Amino acid sequence: MELDPTARSCPLCHTPVVNPAQPVREDLPTPFPTERQEVPPISPRESILLCSSVLGVVSVCCGLLNLLFLRTAPWSLYVIGACAMLWVWIVLPQVASGLPVWGGILADAGAVAGYVAVIAALSDGWSWYFALALPVVAILAALACLYWLAVRRGRSYLSRINLALGSMGVFLLLLELLIDLFLTGTYQPTWSVVAAAILTVLLLLLLVVRFDPELRERVRKRFHF
Amino acid sequence: MAERAKRDWYNLDNAAVLYSAIQRHDYSAVYRFSAVMAQEVDPEALQRAIDRTMPRFPSFCVTIRRGLFWYYFEPLRAPGPYLAEDIQNPCQPIRFDEQEGWLVRFFYYRRRISMEVFHALADGYGALTLLRTLLAVYLRELGHEIPNTGGVLDVDAPPDPEEQEDAYARYATSRVKRGMSEPVAYQNLGTPEPYYTLNVTMGLLPLDRLRETAKRYGASLTEYLAAVLIQSIMARQRRQNYRRERQVALAVPINLRPYFPSRTLRNFILTVRPFIDPELGEYTFPEIVRQVHHIMRLHLTRQEMQAVITRNVALQHLLPLQLLPIGVKNMAMSLSYALVGDRPYSATLTNPGAFSVPEEMEHHIERMEVILGQAYTPRVSCAAISYRNTMEITFAGTVRESEVERDFFRHFVREGIPVKVISNREN
Repeated sequence: MELDPTARSCPLCHTPVVNPAQPVREDLPTPFPTERQEVPPISPRESILLCSSVLGVVSVCCGLLNLLFLRTAPWSLYVIGACAMLWVWIVLPQVASGLPVWGGILADAGAVAGYVAVIAALSDGWSWYFALALPVVAILAALACLYWLAVRRGRSYLSRINLALGSMGVFLLLLELLIDLFLTGTYQPTWSVVAAAILTVLLLLLLVVRFDPELRERVRKRFHF
Repeated sequence: MAERAKRDWYNLDNAAVLYSAIQRHDYSAVYRFSAVMAQEVDPEALQRAIDRTMPRFPSFCVTIRRGLFWYYFEPLRAPGPYLAEDIQNPCQPIRFDEQEGWLVRFFYYRRRISMEVFHALADGYGALTLLRTLLAVYLRELGHEIPNTGGVLDVDAPPDPEEQEDAYARYATSRVKRGMSEPVAYQNLGTPEPYYTLNVTMGLLPLDRLRETAKRYGASLTEYLAAVLIQSIMARQRRQNYRRERQVALAVPINLRPYFPSRTLRNFILTVRPFIDPELGEYTFPEIVRQVHHIMRLHLTRQEMQAVITRNVALQHLLPLQLLPIGVKNMAMSLSYALVGDRPYSATLTNPGAFSVPEEMEHHIERMEVILGQAYTPRVSCAAISYRNTMEITFAGTVRESEVERDFFRHFVREGIPVKVISNREN
């Protein structure tokens, strides 16, 4: 096997070239250029315009139909609210590409809270909105932010599953708490404890797999990871 | 053809439809051919040669436009393409709406002239015809006498309309439509490098020694290279210690022109899938060569390939698919490519064969090189091309590991064939 005289290490096995009889020729040009270049990233302008116009047209058409012809109920607000929520989910990340992940999660959660508020306002349901819907959205947003904080520095596949299972357990326990408080005013946990227990068993099993290299290797082989 | 002259656009061929649909912001089906000349490149003469040559190849002077239901090609009247200094990370993704819409790029670096082509335009045969003609015109610009023979096209003659034909459509006449459902193969994935990095490792080998060795195994050169590559990938899968090993299979593009006469310079290829199933037991290298040889010979029949062409073209003309808007169609085709187009293969191996030029040109070119751009998933692809007595084999991919290429080139050293290795990896 012969290397280029300018090579300082073997590109195949990365062994450094140390040959007193034939030192690395720094004076010769390398076989490939050393300047890097990158094509510019795709501009999201077209996609932003397309999505915004589709959602805008749907909202305006429904609003006009509601105002001019089908005036029995303000049904168009459901459609307009959904379009606004979709705009925040789909278009906002493209418009504000520098938005941090936690900012995106909070914006998405805010959009959901806003849309549910529209539904609550139209169905006279502010009681369930403040006691149930808003806290559920807030808990989901908080758990999503915590999950992101935990995995952002890179976690193994198993650790990410574990974190997701743990988050789901916490969410189900809190969900039953909120439902109980809203319906009866007292906390009597039932189904959420069963669900959390199953999730805990799964979590413990995966933790054992995660921290036992031999078992982890066997699982990896079996599932062809 | 008269109809095409009247209308100022034309349809993508069957392969081009796929390549344009699976385009992503970080992926384009791009390949590169390079000629390493005997002398340093004169960029001004080369730009003049590009300007003189490109009008003779109208199928390369097009841009891709997005219709409501399909992409289509539109002739480009913008000046260019412009020669640029070469870069370390070749085969960058193509942007349909940038660089004036050109889908072909030209670079130079010291003695190397490179041409990158978006695969929707042409296959290796078409691109090499363009490059051969360009090199002839370039050498003429430098004052050499080069005749229009040996595959060099006359740039002063009008383009032959048959060079732009969709040969798939012409030969999609089989009564039978043959499916191509294949099992999932070992994916040979690696650690992805940061975006835009393409690691290229080239091996230069004496062609006569390679031919001699392949002949000893009773195989063609492509079959022999495919067997060495399969063996190297099998070794990697074995090292990863899976409980159940998957097939190791290659996508080997086949030039259809020898089987179905056509002068088209657009795409006209199909792939054949040589494979080894390691679950069946241990294979010696001669057994791998034998199996690859028989699979390739078994499936390279005119009748079977025509049935596959017919199925592919029929899919393209399926009414429900035609009625889908292009955005939905692209998503559906990308998904189907990821599931059934990419997963049955462990790697791609392409060997466009020996690059021939008129005798008067031969001593001006030292060697030829070929690079397949990044694969759809993070893994290496392999491409080979020979010129005179040098076979150049390139591994290119967006992965950090280099185990497959290491085992591949070591095999030749063990067979007594010397290998010179060069790479763009940072030392």
